Amino acid sequence: MDLSTLITPGTLFFFMLAAVTLVSALGVALAPNILYSAFSLLGTLGGVAGLYLLLGADFVGIVQVLVYVGGILVLILFAVLLTNKLGELKLNNLSTGLMVGAPAAVALLALIVKGVTTTAWPLTEEATAPTTARLGDSFLREHLLPFELVSLVLLMALVGAMVIARRAAKEEGRSVPEESHDRLVG
Amino acid sequence: MGGDLTIALDNVQSLRYFAPELILSVGILAILVADLVVGKPDRKRSFGVAAVSLAIALVATLATMDGRARGLFGGLIARDPFTDFFKVLFIVTSALVGVAALRSRDAIEYRPGELQDKESGEFYALLLTSTIGMFLMAAATDLLMAFLSLELVSILSYILAGFKRRDRKSSEASLKYVIYGGVAAGVMLYGMSLLYGISGSTNLSTIYQAVAASRSTLVLVIAVVLCMAGFGYKIASVPFHMWCPDVYEGAPTPVTAFFAVGPKAAGFALLLRFFNGAIPEQIHTDLFANSPWPLVLGLIAAATMTLGNLAAIGQSNIKRLLAYSSIAHAGYLLLGLCSFSADGQRAILLYLVTYLFMNLGAFLVVLAMSDAGLGEEIADYRGLGMRAKFPALVMAICLFSLTGLPPFAGFFGKFYLFAALIAKGGSLNVALALIGILNSAVSLYYYARILRAMYFDKPASEAPIVAAPIHAWNMGAMAVATLGMWIAWTPLVGWVNASMAQWYPRAQTIVTAALR
Repeated sequence: MDLSTLITPGTLFFFMLAAVTLVSALGVALAPNILYSAFSLLGTLGGVAGLYLLLGADFVGIVQVLVYVGGILVLILFAVLLTNKLGELKLNNLSTGLMVGAPAAVALLALIVKGVTTTAWPLTEEATAPTTARLGDSFLREHLLPFELVSLVLLMALVGAMVIARRAAKEEGRSVPEESHDRLVG
Repeated sequence: MGGDLTIALDNVQSLRYFAPELILSVGILAILVADLVVGKPDRKRSFGVAAVSLAIALVATLATMDGRARGLFGGLIARDPFTDFFKVLFIVTSALVGVAALRSRDAIEYRPGELQDKESGEFYALLLTSTIGMFLMAAATDLLMAFLSLELVSILSYILAGFKRRDRKSSEASLKYVIYGGVAAGVMLYGMSLLYGISGSTNLSTIYQAVAASRSTLVLVIAVVLCMAGFGYKIASVPFHMWCPDVYEGAPTPVTAFFAVGPKAAGFALLLRFFNGAIPEQIHTDLFANSPWPLVLGLIAAATMTLGNLAAIGQSNIKRLLAYSSIAHAGYLLLGLCSFSADGQRAILLYLVTYLFMNLGAFLVVLAMSDAGLGEEIADYRGLGMRAKFPALVMAICLFSLTGLPPFAGFFGKFYLFAALIAKGGSLNVALALIGILNSAVSLYYYARILRAMYFDKPASEAPIVAAPIHAWNMGAMAVATLGMWIAWTPLVGWVNASMAQWYPRAQTIVTAALR
């Protein structure tokens, strides 16, 4: 592979975004404080949004920013901040299994890099165009079933979350007097 | 073997053949809405709704079954004899687990006079949703659907594993399951993205054609191995088995019984469809002298069997022991895939049927005994042969069958698996068959520990233990099925042959010919 073909504005952006994503992902995994981990997630999610945009997936990129960066990340931060026990928790992911894990990870990385660089990937050149209309169309035509299935997955995840969360509320309610118990359970 | 779907149907045409899933969805909503609208939540009512919807789904499956292969929703899922076989298997599993959970204190931890009984409705709604997920896993002919259905089953499994109230082990099981599941799903998605990169499609048969035409062997092997992380996690094969003992031990016993049979069978369905539908057995190889798949799968199978059996020896908790035993059984089942022959793959289906009855039977005994107040350690089972004659007898039958001793169903299942390997020949296959037979001998040792405790050790107390009638009926049914499966063996083999006909149309094969 020729180096001059490698450095175009597109690839330059790609490598920058990839670096941001990877470095923040490492931050998520290795930060000693869970709050720092949560903040590092900002870079990861934002970097992925950038990658989507670079690939011409405008709608997915914007949704990534709106939902993940704007919604889920804020939710995670609130969860961390409001759970006082969790906020003070010192995590240490650094030393676990490093002697075995690191060589295996390096070997796997080398193998994947070799595999990916020696493969003649079939490429398609597509003009950048808004994808929203096509996405909407595909949700109601060829991808109707996955679309509906995802809603089932989300519904049942909601029910499950409720099962677990309501139980926790009841648990706390047990120690308090009867009237406030009823109020807690609702 | 590119999984050519003869009839492709669009969204509206597909609904007719999608009826079982739709019926179950209606059942789920009915359970949830009934808990809100119709008075006090009631476990029996939820069970009734679940049972009726399972029964109608079974009828709908059988009514629209005509032996033809159809691609539904533009080829995202398939409705063919293979899917129908697994659908019936899953409906039977869910119904048995549903009945077992009805009386189980473990699943809902029933406490008279408390609000506690409320969650019953959700339990059956979650069970039905898992059933839909398993249906779709068996039917998926597209990587997108494979991933989504696998995730559906996984998310439901996390919730079910953590269902036991105020139980640290149950919560721990759920959390470990989530973390392992998340990692496995991520690795599998990476593998799937590589497959998409090679072929430009998520459809299994398109991937087959693209892969058969391309010469990029290394990346294909990497992709398949990474995908195996997801499938291997679902069937609990080495090295993705670590969650299994903790989850099986911590989860409520009816849920454990369900995990050991349902999602595992669904994982094998997905695996069979993946290897038959998307990955050619022979690929253009610059790297390997032969096709790499038998070796990759063979190594996983051998490691899974051996680790499962060796680790089971040291266990003192009976659910943990059965968890390792189920890991070992995933290894035996993988042997059927290694030979890449019609016999081997049919043997997987046959073994799954026998495994359903003997494994559920063993778990049902554990469930009935823990409901009657007995502990879950092997030491608690001392003298059970005197204290609870019938459950101990059922346990003995199931354990002999799991070992693979002759008159029991497990023997026939294992015979077909090993015979397929030996019939195919080649040093790798014969070696794998020998490892499998040696492992069966090892498994006899730890199964016999339970038998010895039940029949030869002195009980801690002489007080008889009475199993609830519904558990007794359930256990009896499992024992009869395990003992009497040979009566229905010929129709069963015929059904399995018909189910696999789209990939292996020839009915007569080496094993069946040798048996006649």
